[in-house]
Amino acid sequence: MSEIADRETVKAAQATRVGNAQTLRRYDVPVIVDQTRCITGCRICIDSCPVDCLSVNPETTKAHMEFDECWYCLACEIDCPKDAITVKIPFLLR
Amino acid sequence: MQQTTLEADIVVIGGGSAGSTAAIAAQQALPRGRVILMEKAHIKRSGAIAIGMDGLNNAIVPGHATPEQYVKEITMANDGIVNQRAILEYANNSFAMLEELDSWGVKFQKTLTGDFDVKKVHHKGSYVLPMPEGYDLKKILTRTLKRAGARVLNRVMATRLLLDNGRIAGVLGFDTRDGDYVVIRAKAVILCCGASGRLGLPASGYLYGTYENPANAGDGYSLAYHAGAELTGIECFQINPLIKDYNGPACAYVTGPLGGHTVNARGHRFIDSDYWSGHMMLEFYRELHSENGPVYLKLNHLAPETITEIERVLHRTERPSRGRFHQGRKTAYESDLVEMHISEIGLCSGHSGSGVWVNERGETTVPGLYAAGDMACVPHNYLLGALTYGKICARHALEHIKDVGDAADVEDQIAAEQKRLEAPLARPNGIPHHQFEYKVRRLVNDYLQPPKTENKMRVGLDHFMRAEEELAEVGAKNPHELMRVMESHFIRDCAEMAARASMHRKESRWGLYHYRLDYPEMNDERWFVHVNLKKSEDGAMQMLERPIEPYIVPLDQDELRGYHGLRITREAAALSA
Repeated sequence: MSEIADRETVKAAQATRVGNAQTLRRYDVPVIVDQTRCITGCRICIDSCPVDCLSVNPETTKAHMEFDECWYCLACEIDCPKDAITVKIPFLLR
Repeated sequence: MQQTTLEADIVVIGGGSAGSTAAIAAQQALPRGRVILMEKAHIKRSGAIAIGMDGLNNAIVPGHATPEQYVKEITMANDGIVNQRAILEYANNSFAMLEELDSWGVKFQKTLTGDFDVKKVHHKGSYVLPMPEGYDLKKILTRTLKRAGARVLNRVMATRLLLDNGRIAGVLGFDTRDGDYVVIRAKAVILCCGASGRLGLPASGYLYGTYENPANAGDGYSLAYHAGAELTGIECFQINPLIKDYNGPACAYVTGPLGGHTVNARGHRFIDSDYWSGHMMLEFYRELHSENGPVYLKLNHLAPETITEIERVLHRTERPSRGRFHQGRKTAYESDLVEMHISEIGLCSGHSGSGVWVNERGETTVPGLYAAGDMACVPHNYLLGALTYGKICARHALEHIKDVGDAADVEDQIAAEQKRLEAPLARPNGIPHHQFEYKVRRLVNDYLQPPKTENKMRVGLDHFMRAEEELAEVGAKNPHELMRVMESHFIRDCAEMAARASMHRKESRWGLYHYRLDYPEMNDERWFVHVNLKKSEDGAMQMLERPIEPYIVPLDQDELRGYHGLRITREAAALSA
């Protein structure tokens, strides 16, 4: 313990002021894109997603799941002209 | 952020079922480009029927049912709290809509003689028309919409309606990809934003594992509320019987006509009718929490050909990932019972009776503002109701705009809303939207999920009011996250509405939908009224009551309780065993 007098009063007040911190977390996501089949420049699956959770990964130029918000509706999988997408049931429901 | 300013005669917000027919009907009557459809997703896959639908639940097909019979059935299913005029208007216009869908190429199930193959699922009459090939319904609507020539703005989210002395002057939103503001000045707005489907938290804890398309976050409820419109029946929650964890429909309307039904753990039937009503859900809830629970969907007594037929429909339409869910759990329709559960709560007039107050012209209480589909209160209106009322709204909006001049200056409102939208982006390290949303929705489960009590809901309401302050801490790193933050505002608004409306109605009604432990009886003497709410002049939520308009299709007292007592009696069960 450091030498703050009346520690809890000080810290409790500070806790309401100090702002928010973030952490990096790893997620298992449902939409799996076969990189060898996905066409660079095609955005069909990205347009199809009702929750807009897909985007082009700038590193690979292929589609990927950017946001962990999948409704497992299969729109991306059904609409993909190259059959490059497989949607898994999200782990929490599996 | 840049701002695009557009002008239109009619703006349709939401391009699902109702929004598609509204925009089609409006654009057919106006010069090209004067109708703008604003869609948060992309119209080719948006709304409740993004992946199609396996049938119409409320088709009134001549020879099978009459509009009057239908009005009676829905009045009964809603314990009398309905505006019959609005339901009758649907009933009188729905068959023409059905025939129009037929002409657009939607495939309905027909008998060998070419008649519509109507099935009985409701408690009294026959209204279910299967669409085994309904997976392409959204494509057909999108194609028809494009042919009509309406202007479509995809990935644009509406966040506030603009007003001129209490009447509609337009809408403001932003592009959820690049963040640019979109202002549309318009003489009429038709809200078609779907249900408030992200209100309760699914039992799985997964935010987007909802029954409704998660894009339907209650946007329309909140937009209408802040524009000063009245909402009604918010205490009549949507709660559905679903496949446990998967949270998709089981689905009684597909399997019922083919012999599937709901059973308890003993394998016995316990409800008379699998049609989704509050009273059916109450019996479902009681069985689930009794020594006879859990509850299952039973298909394993059916012939293999029938099961193949069921799978052909269920695994291709509406929620086609059902099949891989069952496979992952190693359950099969032919050998196993499918465990069922009750859904999280939501607001949805398509299934129950909670929505924006509308009359038989689709008008809300704000001049120039119309609402259709799951968010507009025409009880149990389902898909065909959305499609039909989209057209009805368009017809009356077209009349309205004839008499409306140019709106006054709305720059103050635009500036204020842009400030509201900039705030979350100014704190990228603020509370993440998913944490805020999880907390509010978890509290909705804790305090609003029936059975309801005053004490619990009061605590819940305190939490939702505190959540309003917490929204000032929620941050967004990009326009996509801003969309989720603004949805969080809508979700919190809906939670407050659900708490206040449920506390106001001091009785139980609609079975489980408004089951109060502190007022367990239905009390027609005091509560045979609509409970409405609106934003008052001082910005607080104000409760109102409206009388039930005299019925056009009369029901006697026994008929009014026609949906009570759906539990199969011990004697009847013994006879059938």
